[in-house]
This record gives sequence, structure tokens and C-alpha cells, in this order.
Amino acid sequence: MNNIITSFKIATNALSKNRMRTFLTVLGVMIGISSVTVIVSAGDSIEKLVYDQMASFGSDFIQAEVRAPKSSGGSLGQAQGIVITTMNENDRQDILDLPYIDKAYSSVTAQELVSWSGNIKKTLIYGVSADFIDIDSSEIDQGRFFTEEEDNNLSRVVVLGKDVKEELFGSNDAIGQNVKVNKQNYTVIGTMKDRGTIFFFNMDELIYIPIQTTQKMILGINHVISITSQLNDSSRDQEAVSDIQKILRANHNITNPDRDDFEVMSMADAQDLMNTVVGGVTLLLIALAAVSLVVGGVGIMNIMYATVAERTFEIGLRKSIGASKKAILQQFLAEAIVITLLGGIYGILLGIFMIYIVYLIATYYGFAWDFSLSLSGLVLALGFSIVVGLIFGLYPAKRAADLDPIAAIRKE
Amino acid sequence: MIELKNVYKEFVNGEVVTKVLQGINLQIGRGEFLAIMGPSGSGKSTLMHILGFLDNISTGQYYFDNKNVSSLDDDILADYRNKKVGFVFQSFNLLPKTSVWENVRLPLLYNRGKTDLSYVDKAIKSVGLEHRKNYLSNQLSGGEKQRVAIARALVNNPDIIFADEPTGNLDSKSGIQIMSILHELSKMGKTIVVVTHESTTAKYAKRIVQIRDGEIVSDEVNKDVISTETLKGQLK
Repeated sequence: MNNIITSFKIATNALSKNRMRTFLTVLGVMIGISSVTVIVSAGDSIEKLVYDQMASFGSDFIQAEVRAPKSSGGSLGQAQGIVITTMNENDRQDILDLPYIDKAYSSVTAQELVSWSGNIKKTLIYGVSADFIDIDSSEIDQGRFFTEEEDNNLSRVVVLGKDVKEELFGSNDAIGQNVKVNKQNYTVIGTMKDRGTIFFFNMDELIYIPIQTTQKMILGINHVISITSQLNDSSRDQEAVSDIQKILRANHNITNPDRDDFEVMSMADAQDLMNTVVGGVTLLLIALAAVSLVVGGVGIMNIMYATVAERTFEIGLRKSIGASKKAILQQFLAEAIVITLLGGIYGILLGIFMIYIVYLIATYYGFAWDFSLSLSGLVLALGFSIVVGLIFGLYPAKRAADLDPIAAIRKE
Repeated sequence: MIELKNVYKEFVNGEVVTKVLQGINLQIGRGEFLAIMGPSGSGKSTLMHILGFLDNISTGQYYFDNKNVSSLDDDILADYRNKKVGFVFQSFNLLPKTSVWENVRLPLLYNRGKTDLSYVDKAIKSVGLEHRKNYLSNQLSGGEKQRVAIARALVNNPDIIFADEPTGNLDSKSGIQIMSILHELSKMGKTIVVVTHESTTAKYAKRIVQIRDGEIVSDEVNKDVISTETLKGQLK
């Protein structure tokens, strides 16, 4: 034990005599460790954010979305321009016939300019059925949401998201005013309360128009892109998924499930999917951060080799006055460990600072971001830094220990 | 104390074999003051490295305190270098940017038995450098550096001091000072082995071993050894 303490004393003494070199080597490790700390913590925060946002939808939803059949390239096919037009209002009506589903809304989206009194804003139109306001956790601030009757009558009414209302009207009252969408007048019947950013999308920048109005008056289409249904018995979610699949296959004349042009997902399925995605992305980022640590480790190895070469005389002298191979090995390993340990500690401190900055930025942009420090992440980062020191310090230390004292002394 | 029996040493570099020591037989008793003399390349430094456990022999036997040195492992040899012998080198071999006190303490770091740091101060005092103990090694004169090297060699109270050309880098006055210290140590019972090519340095030893081309060519008592009193007189 005394030998190890002595090795660390000699190591810190040697490192303090080469402060600039020590600082630069520590810096390399510090960057790697801070990256790991930030990524692990950000991964935790994103996971929590995603789960909290999913939880805000509730657990009693089933979502059916259009999706290009696997044979046409699936999601990739859609990204390449394949448009699925088979899902429509009839599907929603059939889903509503299921005994455990009370409400359901279809949706389409469109991007248009909306203007009022010379103020213009590019917005995303969210064309939805009237049931939307009962199913989604969005709430009306002023006025009201549109009715099913208004939807059926292709009424030109609009409900504004909070940000759209503020940008177009400022402090003026919007209710009853006419805004121009796609060169047509729409009457503002309501404004939404602050909804924030959900899945990196700012819900306050949407405007809500009845789905059939959006389909016929703006887009000139007959299909929808999704149908969201609310269960009155959340324990029947898997049964609902299966039943909705059957309905959609029957309506779309599909016999082979591989040719499904839709995807039906319960909230539990979505959470599983999110788990996989978030876990995978976190793992990938940690792997990338680990690469930077390995680069830091190679830096340590490089410096340790240079140190051994530069201090060959000192090593020879120490051996000539009684230092054993083990003592020299311990001394140089201790130097590598002290460097990585310092890098680890400063890296964690820098990481915590960066996590705080990320937290400030995320909250500024409206994310319900948690300032969370993952203890396991910190321990992992510190442990990894010591292991890096041991692995990358071992070979140069062994080289120092194996030096011939006579030849080494002659190097002076 | 030391006995070499028919010791050979050769260095092999690829196909080139250099024979450095060829059949050395030598005995050194406790408390002797011995000079090993010879020209450059005669093998005297290699002999000192072997005697000081820094190098091993090719053939023959080396006994230290009746123990066959060839049978000792690396750790025991390191321990011998630490406790049984002390080295004084021609070029001082002090750690740069390090204080006198830290340089002298160095062997204690590797002495598992001894941690009493008062030995450091005693060793520094014995070479008359108490007033320089906090100086950095590069702030000292050549003579002072060599005195620090002697203090370092003494700190573990070894049986034998090996000095390789201890006055080689010094002016004559400093050289006499160093030899005077070695004389005092010899009087206190330490075994002193000085390796030199200068007869002016060898004349302080009580026994002179001449070596040439790896062989001992003479081994005689120095009848004209300079006494401690004469040395002190030279220093005035």
C-alpha cells in the first residue's frame, strides 16, 4: 500500500513539473469524459421528456397512420414521395362502430400562409375532426372549437394556436375576425391555450380547421393521414389494434398483412418503439463519445511514450539507486491514472456545466427539459477514464520498467 | 565481502561480439579503499556496474557476502542496489529541477524498511551542505553536486560506495574535497571502490588494481597513499 502511495506521490510530483504538458493531456481526457457525461444525461432527459409527452396523451389511444406497404419501401417509400390515399372518413366511421371506442378524429396537414390586417405568417394547418378537442389534451383559451356540423358543412372556421394568435393579432381580440387562408376568408372561432413543444414540434404554431374543409377547400383531396381513436376501456388496447387492422384491411381490400398500407399502434406499442429508438440513439452517441475518449487515451499513450523517452535518464537513475521494475511500472501507471482521473473529474464538472447550458437552452425553446444528472453516467465516465489511463498507460510504463539502467543513465 | 571468480563479460550486438572482461579474479574486503585504474575501454566501468548489481556477468561467479549474485532475482538485486551499495557518478546524475534534499531522499523512496527522513538531513550534513539543502540541483557548483551525489549514496547507510570517475568533471580543489570525503568514509569503515583513469585520483586509495583489455594486470597496495592529514593540508 505504501508503495502505491509513494508511486502516486512521485507521479504527482513529476506531473507538476510539466504543467503545460499535463494540462494538455488532461484536456484531451476532459473533453471525452464531459462528452460522455453530457450524452448520458441528455439521453436520460430526452427519454423522460418523451415519456412525459407520451403520458400527456394518456394511455387509452390507438393511432392508425398511413404507411406505404413494405413491398413499396415502407416509410422510406413515403419519404421518396409515395402518397397513400386509401384511408378516409369511412374508416373513421367504421372504427367508431367498435363498442369500446367512443370518439375518434382523422387528420390531414397542409402548409399555408395565413394573414390578418397585413400580418402574414406561414403556418401548418392541422385539419382535424371535431372530436379532436375531446381526445387531445389541447385546451381552448378563448371562444370554442368547431363542431361536427361545421365540419360536415365545410364551414370556413379556424381555431388559432397561441403563437399564431399572438403574431397575427398581438393583444387584439381575434374571435370573430376573418383571417385569409389560401386566399379565402376563415372566421376565427377560438384560440388555443399554450400547448408547448411536443416531439420537437411547436403545437402553438398550428391552426386548426375542420378536416373536411381542409380536404375539399384547401387541399382538394379525399383521404386522411391518420385516425386517432379513444378507448373507453384501456385494457382492450391490443384487441382494438387487431380490430382496427381488420377494419382497415377490409376497407382497403387487403388480404396479405405484408401489403398493409397503414400502421396501427397503441400507446404501449409507441412507448416500446420510443424505448428502442431513444435507447439506440443514446447508445450510438455514447459510442461516439467513447471514440473521443479512446482518442484521449491515445493522446495519453503518446505523451507517456514521450515522457518515458525524455526521462530515460531519470528512470535509469531511479533503477540504479534501487527502484525495482515494479516500482517504475507503478510510478508511470500512476502518472497515467492521475492524468485520466484529473481529466475525469474536470470532465464531469465541465459536463455538469454543459448539461446546465443544454437545460437552459431547452427550456428557453419551450421543452419541459429536466436538469438531471445521471449518477450511473458519472460513475461510468469516471470508471472509464481510469480504465483508459490503465490501458493506455500500461505499455509506456512497461517500456520504462524494462529500460536497462546503465544505458538509461548514459542518456543524460 | 566481494569475490569475483574467473568472470567474463561480453556484449553481443548482432554478429559482433565484444569481449570486455576476460577472466577477472578479484576479492574486496570490508573497509577497503580500492582504486580500479585503467585507460578508456579497458573494462573498468563494466566491472564497476557488475560489482554494483547494475549488470550481470556472462560466465564465472560473483559472490557478495557469500551469496551467488547470479542466482538473485531482479527484485532482490534492486533491493541490493538500494541498501547494500551507493553510487557516485562522474556526471553527478542528480535529478534536475529538484532540490538537494529531494535528490538525497530519492533512495529512501525505494527502501521499504526505512522511512525516517532524518537520515536525509544527516547525509546532507555529512557532506557539509546543510546550507544548500533547499537549493535546486542546477543551482549548485560541480563540487557541490558531487557532494550531493555522495550524500545520496550514503542515505541508506550502504556497506560499499562505488565512485565512477568522481573527480572527472571537477576542478582540482573540488576533486581533493571529494576524495577527502571518501577518505573520511573509509576511516568510518565504509568500503570505497573508485574507478578512474587518472593516477592523481587513484593515489588516494590504499590499494590499486590496474586493468587493461579486460584483464587485471596488477593488484598492489599503494605504498604512497596520501593520508587524510595531507589531504586536509591540501585543502587549506
